[in-house]
Amino acid sequence: MTAVDDTTHRAPRARRLRRPKGLTAHIVLMLSVVISIFPFLWTIVMATNTTQDIYKSPPKLTFGSHLLENIRHVLHTIDFFGSMFNTIIVACATTVLVLFVDSLAAFTFAKFDFPGRKVLFGLLLLFMMLPLQLAILPQFILMSKIGWVGMLKALIPPALANAFGIFWLRQYIENGVPDELLDAARIDGAGFFRQYWNIALPMIRPALSFLAIYAFVGAWNDYVWPLVVLTNPAHVTLQVELAQLNVGHTTDYSMVMAGVLMAALPLVVVFAVFARGFIAGATEGAVQGT
Amino acid sequence: MTSPPVTGPAAVPEHRGGPGPARFRPRRATPAGTARPKRRGLLKYWRQYLAISPFYLIFAAFSFFPVFYSLYLAFQRWDGMGTMQFVGLQQFRFLWDDPVFWLSIRNTLVIWVLSTVPTLLGALVLATLLHSVRRFKGFYRIALYVPNVTSIVAVAIFFGAVFSNNFGLVNAILGTVGISPVPWLSNPWLIKVVIALLMTWMWTGYNMIIYLAGLQAIPTSIYEAAKMDGAGPVRTFFQITVPIMRPIILFTVIISTINGLQSFSEPQVLFASNAANANLGGPGQAGLTTLLYFYQSAFLNNDYGYGAAIVWAFFLLIVVLVVVNWRITTRGRKG
Amino acid sequence: MDLSRRGFLQAAALTAAASGLTVACGGSSGSGGTKNGKNLTLWYWGGALSDKVVAEAKTHFASAVTLTTASIGGDFKQKLTTTLAAGTSVPDITGIKGEDIASFLPNASRFLDLNDLGFKKLSSQYLGWKTKLAQTKDGKQIGFPIDIGPTALFYREDFFAKAGVDTDPAKVAALVKTWDDYFQLGTELQKKNPGTYLVNNISSVFNIAVGQGTQRFIDKDNHFIGDQDHIHAAWTTAIRPYTLGIDAKINDQTWNAAVGKNLLTELGAAWHALDIEQAAPQTKGKWRVCANPVGPANQGGSYLALPKQCRNPEEAFKIISWILSPTNDARGFTDAAIFPAAPAAYAMPAMTGPDAFFGGQKIIEVFGPAAKAIPDSYEAPADAAVMAPYMTELTNIEAKGKKPDDAWKDAVSQAKQIARRQGVN
Repeated sequence: MTAVDDTTHRAPRARRLRRPKGLTAHIVLMLSVVISIFPFLWTIVMATNTTQDIYKSPPKLTFGSHLLENIRHVLHTIDFFGSMFNTIIVACATTVLVLFVDSLAAFTFAKFDFPGRKVLFGLLLLFMMLPLQLAILPQFILMSKIGWVGMLKALIPPALANAFGIFWLRQYIENGVPDELLDAARIDGAGFFRQYWNIALPMIRPALSFLAIYAFVGAWNDYVWPLVVLTNPAHVTLQVELAQLNVGHTTDYSMVMAGVLMAALPLVVVFAVFARGFIAGATEGAVQGT
Repeated sequence: MTSPPVTGPAAVPEHRGGPGPARFRPRRATPAGTARPKRRGLLKYWRQYLAISPFYLIFAAFSFFPVFYSLYLAFQRWDGMGTMQFVGLQQFRFLWDDPVFWLSIRNTLVIWVLSTVPTLLGALVLATLLHSVRRFKGFYRIALYVPNVTSIVAVAIFFGAVFSNNFGLVNAILGTVGISPVPWLSNPWLIKVVIALLMTWMWTGYNMIIYLAGLQAIPTSIYEAAKMDGAGPVRTFFQITVPIMRPIILFTVIISTINGLQSFSEPQVLFASNAANANLGGPGQAGLTTLLYFYQSAFLNNDYGYGAAIVWAFFLLIVVLVVVNWRITTRGRKG
Repeated sequence: MDLSRRGFLQAAALTAAASGLTVACGGSSGSGGTKNGKNLTLWYWGGALSDKVVAEAKTHFASAVTLTTASIGGDFKQKLTTTLAAGTSVPDITGIKGEDIASFLPNASRFLDLNDLGFKKLSSQYLGWKTKLAQTKDGKQIGFPIDIGPTALFYREDFFAKAGVDTDPAKVAALVKTWDDYFQLGTELQKKNPGTYLVNNISSVFNIAVGQGTQRFIDKDNHFIGDQDHIHAAWTTAIRPYTLGIDAKINDQTWNAAVGKNLLTELGAAWHALDIEQAAPQTKGKWRVCANPVGPANQGGSYLALPKQCRNPEEAFKIISWILSPTNDARGFTDAAIFPAAPAAYAMPAMTGPDAFFGGQKIIEVFGPAAKAIPDSYEAPADAAVMAPYMTELTNIEAKGKKPDDAWKDAVSQAKQIARRQGVN
């Protein structure tokens, strides 16, 4: 195992060794894919049918013809596009800030020693374990003190205070960014920030894409806090607006599903864009050094 | 054990000199050659402190403060609006005698084990397979991550319909083989199984991506060497992949522990359809997790003090669990 | 230790800075509108009010105030509690759900007393028992009744006919005067219609049986009475269908599939008609309604309230009394299936028409008298919380086969604990 140390350069030489189990691997993966996307497909099925079809026994599993009707119903009931616009703003701002704040802190934790480093990091881990649901009330009071209640920006700070990103990026940087490179840069006179910006950041792009998706999806699907803090009905996010479909004594699930589906489409786009990032990272990305 | 639990997983190789692609050089703020950092020279590290400060400032204001406020609440009786009344440790005494609290802890732990183990094992296997194939990589990656993006409400309706006792798909299929209907959503154990399945389904792809990132950092030359030694895929997996991936596995174990023990929305949406019922967590409260119980106490029963006590008592439990977890996983390295 | 203290100081400093900021900024933030009381906001949830009536209210009062309405989805109570606690961005008019009203009464000071604004003169138009539920002990009226949920017995005419039972609502009502009669009829019906069940679950029986009495789980002197005879009798009643095998034991969404299939009857409030109609449209014309055994109970039904921060109490009160006038209340029945709390509405054409889903039956003839016959009962703030363990244990009997006697003991001991936590003695 000491060989590891000698080959740390991680240069792949474009060689791929493991292919004998190719077919089995594809079969297993394909089966998993089917299981993975089945509920998503079923969401589409539900959105194209009526609520009664959903509750048939066994449930109807084929596409119906009610999609447009359900979509019209959604657009009629809620301000879909307005709230989606708000969500896009919040999700984008959150994602960019999360990426910056977390990567900077993670880089520092991974590659530098400074007094209090361990304690600060441990604290991070500790607080990841506290469920934040209980914080809603004090958070709201805080927001009302600084006058942010009802404003979209009130959604961003609580989303930033998520330690997962730092934890994850630190993990990745420790292994993914060779110290030699940083040392070399230092010798060339690169300061702290340049080491971060010019060397570390480009090398951790795959990890950043993953975090970006994670943060974006999180912001997109966040519900309880926006519901409470966005007091102005003209300024709510998509999930809060969608929740309005889901009230009353009975729920029109086919309409809810149409809304859910419409709300998920932009996610799929974002996902496809960033997923490219972590796919690139796999074989020809910066980490591999080709 | 040279490092305290708080150091985090990846710091381990540094001290132990174990296998792994990590570079084992001590971290220094300044190039090698400078003396070890002195306690008082804090100013020297202003860049580092500045770099982590945005997070900690936001964190302090928006997480730390509210969370501590909630600790204060655990010693009060408060309905969320009226005046608070200091009750000392009374809430915790109630907690001690409350069978539902202990039931919720048992539920949470069972659901956590039932979901975390298959999730992580499945993720590791899938990641290894995915790493080994050359075609459709991008497709697999996206398709397997889809569950994490799918709306939880849709998923809950789906699972509810599929596992429905009387009319579900699973029982319909079992029926054709002559197996009598299984009470998926009323038997206390099966309820937990269904919730665990739901969580496994949601989080396997997510952990797979994390593992994949780790696998991609393993130099291919190691595998070449192993192959030349005549190691088969299974042996390679257990003797090379798993040991090298250890820090990352530990990372996912910690993250899964935190997420798994905070399971809340899954049982909530799965059993929320019955509008009239005041009891959350399904028949026999078998799906009542601790966080769900907190939610019920604080927001449905307006008992914020008790809710805070539940969360804090539970928090202590999680800390203990994570530490134990971490000890076991790192202890294993010595053997 | 050292570190958490530092962190804490940081947080404290930041909070202090933040609050200082607010002071510095003066009133630039805050509730948004000006203080002249020309802008009013109304919070409700989908289905709480007729959207048409609300829209008309906006134009009707346009000369006096601008009314902004927000239909809020999700957890309404949590949102309202949070904003009331913080005291900012509080709506001028808000809906409160019937099941939540009792828990808001201890904080009646957060609301305006509607009696001061003229509710006293109007109160005779609304059902007394409903009005009283939104009243504090010292007579402060915080809620203006919107609707109620009088219960009745929904039954499948076709299953009844098949068993040779007279299907006329009045006759059926006479057949099921007591719970015992009802359960006995159920066993007969089940014999003739194999695979069917009389009730969907026993919690629904318990719920109505408790609601038929004047006392619930906590008395007016704040004593726990959930272990006394009236509750135990309701419990015993609820257990009967389980032991007789006429309980379908449905506690999840499979109800949606079952209701059109193998349920002989449904016990539920007026609004439950819509649930049945949406879940089982194919059974249109096969359902009938009659008075449920013993007597009616109430389930649900909401209120409008004016928080203390209301920027124009007089106009706000005018608006709610207009929206909830018997005439407009009756329209709510047509638009949103909400059953008015004003009996005068029951005679209005909006409510007296035949209902095709119930084979052309005029269902108001059942629900109207039921609404007026609902007993005056006292609901303590902690009532819902204390009731929960009984429901849980009834479900345990159904799901786990727990012995009813054990379940009763556990239910009572847990209810006592919750009561103690909530300050009941």
